[in-house]
Amino acid sequence: MADRAESETPRVGAAVLPDPGSVPHDSATTHVTGRSEYVDDRPMLRGELLCGIVYSPHARARLTRLDLSAALAVPGVACAVTAADVAHNLWGSIIVDQPLLVEQEAQYAGEVVAVLAAESRESLAKAMRAVRVEWEKLPAIRSIDQAVAAGAFIGAERSIARGDADAALAAAPHRLSGTVVIEGADHFYLESQAAIAYPRADGPMEVHSSTQHPTETQHVVAEAIGVPFNEVVCIARRLGGGFGGKESQAAPIAAYAALVARKTGRPARLAISKDDDMIITGKRNPFQIRYEVGFDGEGRLLALKAQLHSDGGAYADLSTAIMERALLHSDNAYCIPDMHVRGQVCRTNHHPHTAFRGFGGPKGVAMIESVIEDVARTLGRDALDVRKRNVYAPGRDTTHYGQKVENNCLPALFESLEARCDYRRRREDITKWNADRSSNPRGLSMTAVKFGISFTTRFLNQANALVNVHRDGTVQVSTGAVEMGQGVNTRIAAIVAERLGVPIGAVRVMVTSTEKNANTSPTAASAGTDLNGAAAAAACDRICARLANLALHLRDLPPERWPSRTAGLGTQPEAQVTDHPPAEPVRFEAGRVHAGPFSIAFADLAREAWLSRISICEYGHFATPDLGFNKLTGQGRAFLYYTQGVAASEVEIDRFSGEVKVRRVDLLMDMGRPINHALDVGQVTGGFVQGMGWVTTEHLFYNADGLLVSHSPSTYKIPSIQDTPRVFNAHLVFNEGNAANIRGTKAAGEPPLLLSLSVWTAIRDAVMNARAARSGGRDLVPMAIPATAERVLRALEPEAFAAIETR
Amino acid sequence: MRDYALLHVNGVPREVRGREALMMLATWLRKEAGLPGTKIVCAEGDCGACTVLRAFDTPGTESLDAPFEVMNSCIAIVAQMDGAHIVTVEGMQDGDALAPAQEAMRRCHGSQCGFCTPGFVMALSGMLEQHGGVAVERKVAANHLTGNLCRCTGYEPILEAACTVRTSPRHVVGPRYGTRERRERARAAMQDGLQIEHDGVRFAAPTSLREACAFVAAHPGCRVVGASTDLGVPINKGRPMPEALLSLHLIPELHEARLTRSEVVVGARVPLAKVRHLCEQAAPEFARFLNLFASPQIKNVATLVGNIATGSPIGDTLPFLLVSNAMVHVASRPGGRGAVQRREIPMTRLYRGYRQLALEPGELITHVSFERTRPKEVVRLFKVSQRKDLDISTVSAAFALTLAGPRTKGSRQVTEARVALGGVAATPIRLPEVEKALVGTLDAARIEPIAALIGRAIAPLSDVRGTAAYRTMLAANLFRQFAQELLDG
Repeated sequence: MADRAESETPRVGAAVLPDPGSVPHDSATTHVTGRSEYVDDRPMLRGELLCGIVYSPHARARLTRLDLSAALAVPGVACAVTAADVAHNLWGSIIVDQPLLVEQEAQYAGEVVAVLAAESRESLAKAMRAVRVEWEKLPAIRSIDQAVAAGAFIGAERSIARGDADAALAAAPHRLSGTVVIEGADHFYLESQAAIAYPRADGPMEVHSSTQHPTETQHVVAEAIGVPFNEVVCIARRLGGGFGGKESQAAPIAAYAALVARKTGRPARLAISKDDDMIITGKRNPFQIRYEVGFDGEGRLLALKAQLHSDGGAYADLSTAIMERALLHSDNAYCIPDMHVRGQVCRTNHHPHTAFRGFGGPKGVAMIESVIEDVARTLGRDALDVRKRNVYAPGRDTTHYGQKVENNCLPALFESLEARCDYRRRREDITKWNADRSSNPRGLSMTAVKFGISFTTRFLNQANALVNVHRDGTVQVSTGAVEMGQGVNTRIAAIVAERLGVPIGAVRVMVTSTEKNANTSPTAASAGTDLNGAAAAAACDRICARLANLALHLRDLPPERWPSRTAGLGTQPEAQVTDHPPAEPVRFEAGRVHAGPFSIAFADLAREAWLSRISICEYGHFATPDLGFNKLTGQGRAFLYYTQGVAASEVEIDRFSGEVKVRRVDLLMDMGRPINHALDVGQVTGGFVQGMGWVTTEHLFYNADGLLVSHSPSTYKIPSIQDTPRVFNAHLVFNEGNAANIRGTKAAGEPPLLLSLSVWTAIRDAVMNARAARSGGRDLVPMAIPATAERVLRALEPEAFAAIETR
Repeated sequence: MRDYALLHVNGVPREVRGREALMMLATWLRKEAGLPGTKIVCAEGDCGACTVLRAFDTPGTESLDAPFEVMNSCIAIVAQMDGAHIVTVEGMQDGDALAPAQEAMRRCHGSQCGFCTPGFVMALSGMLEQHGGVAVERKVAANHLTGNLCRCTGYEPILEAACTVRTSPRHVVGPRYGTRERRERARAAMQDGLQIEHDGVRFAAPTSLREACAFVAAHPGCRVVGASTDLGVPINKGRPMPEALLSLHLIPELHEARLTRSEVVVGARVPLAKVRHLCEQAAPEFARFLNLFASPQIKNVATLVGNIATGSPIGDTLPFLLVSNAMVHVASRPGGRGAVQRREIPMTRLYRGYRQLALEPGELITHVSFERTRPKEVVRLFKVSQRKDLDISTVSAAFALTLAGPRTKGSRQVTEARVALGGVAATPIRLPEVEKALVGTLDAARIEPIAALIGRAIAPLSDVRGTAAYRTMLAANLFRQFAQELLDG
């Protein structure tokens, strides 16, 4: 790939892509009418049991007594499940280290120790109140610092290096060092985790789960109840949001329901409350990043050394892979010649932290974007100029892990947005505004994203799809992709419709089930459409090849000898048709198949094929090509391509309360050739606002015992409709150069979230502007994520807070 | 006496008894009524996924035209919905035709995962019921949708749907579901008191204050439920239902809200939305503040008296009531016999401790009255929370100053001052020393000494919403903000 011409830098101009009139989400009508079925909407079957969970309220504690006798004596209570009932009480997505149910010692507040099942919600509530559990509290590790001091780690340290960062730092004209503190965030998918297990007497256990990873859920359930994989089917119809929180952590919920179903022989439903969900499930990993950066007087970054630590929680979950992505994104959009980043996951007594939109990416990006703001302020330059000086560009376009940044739009995106959002004039206005010390401080910042698309673990980059063409020309497609709002079904339907040349209305994407698609990867890493769409396309291509060959055969045959006239009597020899590409061009378009002047309706051709005993169903498999990242050396091609974008955010701080208002956001995103413009824009605005919550108001508050206190929307504040940017200009840009991916599209799910960091850097800008207006200096003010109102006010008024706290 | 609650659901009359009558409405709709379109997310009235429309014609009036308004169904006990007309998302479509809110949400790509969507459709429909065919601006739309959380869309397409929704007379809910026949049937049933008994829980809704007082006297520890926006939360989170519950919704006099020459009088059953309307002229700052307070879903059902009776230190209306010389009117029938006895308790003496009220056993609150804002008076209310809207206060503040003399730039003559804070102690409090210090000439030089006095007068706690130092800082800063506005204005 290195031989690609640099002149290929894509055209990203003033023009943004208009919405060509997007097809609505395939569930739009059932969503708005309330007819979309989620797990807990399924009707109760006769004899079905409702389940509840019992968990530890302490960060680390020994189980000294678990007395369920009173709970089991409540009328209507059917059974309890404890560790003793679990066939194989250990699971884990990467490292198998997590018990499904506590045996002797709980490692985090929220770790489940028992499951109760009852015939009614009233009985269940009474039984839950009758549970007697006693714990002996043990010393716990509650922070990254404590874990580092104790040497409590998960997995080995990972490192990515290029050049000699130490020497380059020593030689750099300027140096800065600092620490970035990033706290976690809850996914706050609206649908809390849920599963129903149906123990079929005459077949496998059927588990309906709100999971992003049906295959893993199937496997964890099978191991929990002690049956081979083929004795479990996992079905995921749709999710009320996932965002990574249902990638690994749906599996234990399904296992609990299955254990009850197995023990009682009755259907069992576990739909946990939002409170329980927030308490027991892991969050976005908190990070603590120490860095040292060297730069010259022009703001050119020369060297970067960074040590990343993350709070992995009590068990490994996906934290090591998340750390890897953080390291891979600590350059973000900027080329740093000498660089050494190291990452270590810490083991603490918190819920096992997990995937959350962006995976580790946002943490690495937060660090480098913050560093750039500091470099700019130290030199008295505008941060945008520093960014533009360092951005990946022709001639300086290889990452610290040795992958070339192809189809690079970043320089053009910066230029374009700078003009579109009137950056320079607004910067001047803000400087004037802030000069009046009695005004509310304002800040402005533009950040970028260059998000690598592919699982960094190569074997996950595969997918399969089943495409069934029916004899009326309609199509059913099944893949391993899970629909959780992102529109993956709608996109796959569009890809299939395009390949087969049928209207999108003729394509129905079926319920995701391990019965049809096994050994699938999670719907994650933004790659759901890329992988599953490509697998479906591969299946379509083989069907099309056979149909094209048949079409050529029919063209040369008088209609009275076509199978539809003769097959019933068997008077004609059958067409002999292969999967090989047809000898002449055949087009599939608008419901018809064309071979030169010959044309036949797709539905008719499908029927002729069936009558000719030619399969019009196909199974496709896709494996992303050209991936080769060596995790041990930290070098290689980690990603198929990059999704890129830039955003400029302007904020205003209430100087009395520290509350932040986002006045304006301008955003440009490169999605290649979008499959569905509206769905992509929806991912952009939705991801951005979700990220805004993480960097501003979403604050996880734990009590001294390590139990999450902010476990509901009354205490955990995701953005409301009043928090959206007052002005929000989000656009997609024109880019037809992404040859690497299916139909030149780019993945949309995660990348926009990272642009919300511009809100955080803008808040820092505002705080530092205000402090500078007061002192005349260029103080660098650290700001943790989230920049809550309290933290912002503290940063503005450190002296006043000190006075109160030393009183 | 009835043993069932009568409610109309999507036009169908339902007599609900026993266990089902004591369920939460959302759960009942989903699990018993076969209407799973209504979603439950937080089960505490904070996310709007369970939004339904409700019309309730208060007893004791002639009119049968109460509008359909949004409410959260997750924290309302079915029995409290007695006499109400409920419309769920399943009731919005007319044959195959999508309702305007549904069509707009679909057209604007307003749903992604779809889980919040029924709630948004209902909130939008509530907006249309109120605004009819008038196109709304973004800001107005946002106010109607404040009570609904979405995690997928970033709200942009939903706002677009709200601002471009095309209404049609055919789809107006009121005439479709609130037919005269149904309203009369509900009204007739409500002539009769209601008593539900199931599994050791007694829920009573008498038709007179006499009977209500007798019930309270006979059931010590009885909980009076207004909209159960407070009580519903712990019940949903696993606490047992109180053994005795009293609903006042069938008692005509408690629905009364009126203005006298000097006062605003609000009955126990009057929801905040109505209080806001009543106060637009009489206490304009309070009306403005109520716009920030809670969501439309909550304000349409939650009562002012409920906010008082709950007695939370961060109850949003309480600082205002404390500076408005509010009186709390209570009634009782000692021993459950004889005539109803009434007395008044000044708001400043109502709270004895954390959520402890100075009520005698057997007493229940019937009304609250508070002073109208006088011409010479400046009233300002503040609230700071982690998130600007739909959030519980970290600190709230109320300032009421009586001014004398001419307006001069940079200086004011204060003849009387009342200051109250919420979120800085176990109860909402008045600050007498600060009030004393405020009387006289208020100018820029006085701001810092008084701010410092406020800081010294309080000793707040640290919790999930902020540290003690932050609260102290906020209390002083809110005064600084108030004083500066006053002197600049």
